[in-house]
Amino acid sequence: MSLTESKERTGNFRPQDAPHYDDVLQCMRCGFCLPTCPTYVLTGRERSSPRGRVALARAVAEEKLEFSRAVRDEAFFCLDCRACTSACPSGVRAGEVMEVCRDQAQSFYPLGRTGKALREFILEKMVPSPGLMEASMLPTRLYQRLGIQWLVRHLKVLNLGPDWMAKAEGMIPELHKPLRPQLPPVVPAKGEKRGRVGFFLGCVMTLMYPSVSRQTVRVLAQQGFDVVTPRDTKCCGAPHLSEGDRTTARRLAKFNLDLFMAEEIDYIVTDCAGCGAALKEYEELLAESADQRSLEIFRSKIRDVSEFLFEVGIREEGLVPVNATVTYHEPCHLCHAQGISRQPREVIKHIPGVELREMNESNWCCGSAATWGLKYSEESQKVLDRKLENVRATNADYLVTANPGCHLQLAWGVREADMPQKVLHLMELMGRALPPDSE
Amino acid sequence: MISTTAIAHLKEKLGDSQVLHEKEDLLTLGYDSTPGVHHLPEVVVYPQTAEQMIWAMEIAHREGLPLTPRGSGTGLSGGSVPVRGGMVIGLSRMNRILEIDEENLTATAEAGVVTLDLFNAVAAKGLFYPPDPGSQKISTLGGNVAENAGGLRGLKYGVTRDYVMQLKGVLPDRSLFCTGGKSVKDVAGYGFKDLMSGSEGTLGLITEVTVKLIPPPQDKRTILAYFNDVRTAGEAVSRIIAAKIIPSTMEIMDRATINCVEDYVKIGLPRQMAALLLIEVDGHPAPVAEEADGVRAILEQVKAAEIHVARDAAHAADLAAARRTALSALARVSPTTLLEDATVPRSRLAETFGEIERLTQKYGLKVGTFGHAGDGNLHPTVLCDERDQDEMKRAHDFYNELYEQVLASGGTVSGEHGIGLAKKAYLSRQIGEGGVRVMKRIKQAFDPEGILNPGKIFDEGDPCTTPHVEEGFRVSH
Repeated sequence: MSLTESKERTGNFRPQDAPHYDDVLQCMRCGFCLPTCPTYVLTGRERSSPRGRVALARAVAEEKLEFSRAVRDEAFFCLDCRACTSACPSGVRAGEVMEVCRDQAQSFYPLGRTGKALREFILEKMVPSPGLMEASMLPTRLYQRLGIQWLVRHLKVLNLGPDWMAKAEGMIPELHKPLRPQLPPVVPAKGEKRGRVGFFLGCVMTLMYPSVSRQTVRVLAQQGFDVVTPRDTKCCGAPHLSEGDRTTARRLAKFNLDLFMAEEIDYIVTDCAGCGAALKEYEELLAESADQRSLEIFRSKIRDVSEFLFEVGIREEGLVPVNATVTYHEPCHLCHAQGISRQPREVIKHIPGVELREMNESNWCCGSAATWGLKYSEESQKVLDRKLENVRATNADYLVTANPGCHLQLAWGVREADMPQKVLHLMELMGRALPPDSE
Repeated sequence: MISTTAIAHLKEKLGDSQVLHEKEDLLTLGYDSTPGVHHLPEVVVYPQTAEQMIWAMEIAHREGLPLTPRGSGTGLSGGSVPVRGGMVIGLSRMNRILEIDEENLTATAEAGVVTLDLFNAVAAKGLFYPPDPGSQKISTLGGNVAENAGGLRGLKYGVTRDYVMQLKGVLPDRSLFCTGGKSVKDVAGYGFKDLMSGSEGTLGLITEVTVKLIPPPQDKRTILAYFNDVRTAGEAVSRIIAAKIIPSTMEIMDRATINCVEDYVKIGLPRQMAALLLIEVDGHPAPVAEEADGVRAILEQVKAAEIHVARDAAHAADLAAARRTALSALARVSPTTLLEDATVPRSRLAETFGEIERLTQKYGLKVGTFGHAGDGNLHPTVLCDERDQDEMKRAHDFYNELYEQVLASGGTVSGEHGIGLAKKAYLSRQIGEGGVRVMKRIKQAFDPEGILNPGKIFDEGDPCTTPHVEEGFRVSH
């Protein structure tokens, strides 16, 4: 076999969207990833470690192993937290290899008819349609408004059902009207104008945390930027990649790419770490299905809101003190997937009156990881407990984070553990420092 | 093939999750960090106690399975690769620190304790465990002892063996052993504990280790020097030692390594420099200051291009951390990384570097060299692609010729990784066939049936029939 041929080696993988053999071969098995991997630390099982998972992918590519159920299970058991990517000096991206394996799993182990229909409805119809998503939340809002939630929580009815249902119910914050239909297409800059940014409003943000993204827009405007929010924005595709549906993810990516490329904006800003990571990876996802030049331009414009504020410099005049101690939990998709670690801290430090108290292992996963925390609720609890222990030790007033998945999990965990910390998104914290008239 | 009854017995005695036999588990437990070596075991067990280990060994005995011990699989000579299949005995789940004895300055831990965890636990009590293999965040204490792991502080503080006071474990005949103790002086009979340390899991299975602790150095200075050519760096090392200064660390990186590390950690290392030396002196404040001045003077004499003293502890830690990533940073460059641990007397460092340069040219390879210059322990690392047969052949010839030079200058074929599979072919060249024969007799005395980690250090049978070198460092799948 020649070197060129072997680069394309897919072996027992389905050739389309197979892990690149070169990526897999790059692993030198040094083991630097082992102590950083939550699932390895939980199980002590090599195949549940990044090194082990890459070895499995290699064995499939080299036809030493079929794409077995165990390979599928490991692909989904991986949190895709990317801590191993940060730790790997050889540059192996085990999380992404597993993401691709999740997609492969769909063809090797297709769901039954009902499961397939449900999956197709959720991933291909509902999530890509903002209208349907908003409608789907309506019963939940009613349920909360009518006080049924209070009854259910207090009577512990849900404890009779499967664990994940009770947890899912408990995690949902108090819902308000989705933000998407409410946001004006353009919110004008306050004071001296510094530029024009597109705001990528994520699904979970608009549905679960409309008040957070409202603050993000407020902060951006107060900092001197026109904020353009295209109303048609669709889901970034991250949930689809996570569930192994690269086809729909590509469709959404292409849609968002075209949508934002049509706007005259300097940057594309998001306050959701998961969206940010996904948007920054469009370049690879769409490598073969979109124009290279526009992908590069699009990629160069994407910023997490903390990354953006740090880069353009925070305008401090007019900020009012927020007297509080805070500790910061780093979302995996911010620190590991995007390498953004310093910027959110700098934003916190720029808020007058705030004292940042670092927790141990701030970049250790909280155990949320999209639907992982529901699918593996017992394991998720263990990962979360380690995080909460570190939060507790800081004795801070607020636990600040920057991703809705972490936010849901941490808020739930803090409440279950009866801890005093309030969970805030970084932009909510910053929103408190804005003068009241900046609305 | 191991019988289903045997698997059932193992599970009954050890617990379901401590016995792995699915293909996916076997595939991920048949390697360590040594490139190109991968052999599948038939079963992997994780005993929690010495008794459970004896149980597992008993079943392996009945089934005729060879035994291979395994820590975290960070070894670089293939020591934990089950070349003959059989049973892998995983030690990573025996990971309790049992005692830190402040009166006797010792710590006792199970074999699977991660080295850095032990280091941190004793540091919390104001004590110091000096051995620090590059993989200290991952590697286990038992694995360190079995491979007699070295590290960055080896120059002044020695290697793992120098800190082992007592070892407990199980012999191949399934009896318990305990050698050494907490007494600082102990000359009762043969030094089995020293023999076990570095025996690469061929003589006995270690379950518990007691190590010596020392008070931590009170002060430390870190100096970084850059050089316009590698030989000058080598000369600086020789002169520092000749001036009777023993730094705790004296690490070298060549240009290729500097660039790879900088790509990875981005701390501003100058890419155009031919080499850098990272030197740490530690101890009581007064001599530390004096030694740091001495080092500086020598660096100036040999005309180092730049000399920097670390601003503070954090800066020093950054520099040391950068050095720790050298191997893995090199690994970014190419799919396959062949790392060796050629070691020469320190006076021969400069010429060895010259030799590495010459051979790199001769064989047309990409080579990055870094290592523990202070103890003459170099890691010439060939960056290649295992799919390229011709390149692999040239890499093999490169090492073969390099080792000839290393041995001619009084060096050793392994400074710290062990012989394992990787260096078998070179061993008799260094210690002679008589030496190999004696080692085999020792193995025979401990393990007459040859069940423990077979195929490591030397092959069974006639010592004269050394396998071809190629098989030595690259065993096929």
